[in-house]
Amino acid sequence: MTTTPTASPASAPPALAWGSARLLAGTSEGRADLAAHRAAHGPTHPYDVHRLTMALEAVRLLGHGGAAFPVAAKLRATPAGRRTQVVVNGSEGEPASHKDRTLMRSAPHLILDGAIAVARAVDTRHVSVVVADPAAHASLTAAVRERDDARTVRIVRHAHGYVGGEIRAVTRALSGEPAVPPGRRVLPTVHGVGGHPTFASNVETFAQIGLLLSLGVDQFASVGAADEPGTTLLTVLGDLPHPALAAGAVLEIPTGLPLALLVGSAPGPVLIGGYHGTWLDGPGSLVLSRPSLRAAGAPLNAAVVARLPETTCPLGEVTAVAGWLAEQSTGQCGPCYFGLPAVARTLHQLLRGAAVEDQALARAGLLRGRGACAHPDGASTFVGSALAVLDEEIRVHRTHGHCGRPWQGVLPTDQEGGAR
Amino acid sequence: MSGAIEIDWTRCDGHGLCAQLLPERITLDEHGFPVVHDRTVGDALVPHARRAVAVCPRLALRLE
Repeated sequence: MTTTPTASPASAPPALAWGSARLLAGTSEGRADLAAHRAAHGPTHPYDVHRLTMALEAVRLLGHGGAAFPVAAKLRATPAGRRTQVVVNGSEGEPASHKDRTLMRSAPHLILDGAIAVARAVDTRHVSVVVADPAAHASLTAAVRERDDARTVRIVRHAHGYVGGEIRAVTRALSGEPAVPPGRRVLPTVHGVGGHPTFASNVETFAQIGLLLSLGVDQFASVGAADEPGTTLLTVLGDLPHPALAAGAVLEIPTGLPLALLVGSAPGPVLIGGYHGTWLDGPGSLVLSRPSLRAAGAPLNAAVVARLPETTCPLGEVTAVAGWLAEQSTGQCGPCYFGLPAVARTLHQLLRGAAVEDQALARAGLLRGRGACAHPDGASTFVGSALAVLDEEIRVHRTHGHCGRPWQGVLPTDQEGGAR
Repeated sequence: MSGAIEIDWTRCDGHGLCAQLLPERITLDEHGFPVVHDRTVGDALVPHARRAVAVCPRLALRLE
């Protein structure tokens, strides 16, 4: 039997769009091959580097990986030339996130449109797409064969986990070096793959660029928030007040949507951004755009949005993820390698009712700024914000040694996206 | 001449000499790794900071 990759293999949550499907256009029947892709998006219009930069600036496109860096600024910082490299990061090591692999499995040509356009704009043919998910790898490999402008696009299997998916670790791996972040600050645009200038971004960023080239600035910016026009992909999970999202979903929304519309307005633990993200007590009046969430202290990061159901032990969920985060340390940096397990152990004690909340906070706080990459900082944010939101829950654990609810593994801690 | 303390965390092995030579800025955590309380080093502390940089066995400490 031959298998063709489709939008929703058994392990993947459904993909759907609220409002108009743009990134997901043409994928309702599954993977869009080149004909389906062109039927949905039309031809792309070639932009030179100046016009592309102006268009990216006009729509205020931000990176859709985690750092939300302005894409126009990144393109401006990338010197043109035949040795310049373009890297498409599809490693998606966040267990709760599925939006990148959904896009790679269902809309590979949109990603390639964007990547090839950037490569042309900076006068290079070197494009590498780094992928961990096997179905996404198959989809992209097939897509490269389906078109005649992708002969120099390399699809590279990524097997270096969460921290290894950090962009500087990815560029090192592509250079034949260890797939870990470097100890000194280097920018890929200055010193990237093989020491060459490298424009590197997340797969969805390139799909957004592909979309911009087919829609043009005005139409691209005709939906969404003024501070970040267009649509964005989210991975949503947990207790959401919409039947279609009950099993979790990859969701395309226009930016600027009130968070309460997605997760309901009630208080309770809501996670924004994933396992380097921030816990909030209910959605408040936040809206889903990268600039506004960052300003509110809850950046969208990997674009995971979760609300814990009342049936699971929230402290147990946080402790399980903290244990997973500790396992992800590459062991390069002492404060992370020793500090993250210490945080996880303290959370375990808290779970059993020990009065170690101050110690947990102190240990989480000490992680900040003490590593080669943002992993300890992200873990610190995740744990620190959880301790603040779960104040009452922690009190219950201290009194009874438990909260009476089982740990259900709503927040996945394996790569398949299911409970352990 | 002032400066800023930088640590290459991939090099640091937690020998801890820096905390002995520059206790005004650096202490050690429970695992023996440095905690920099304030990266900036004023004129008076620069000689001490330079000494700490010079003796770091892993060349992990820098003054920039």
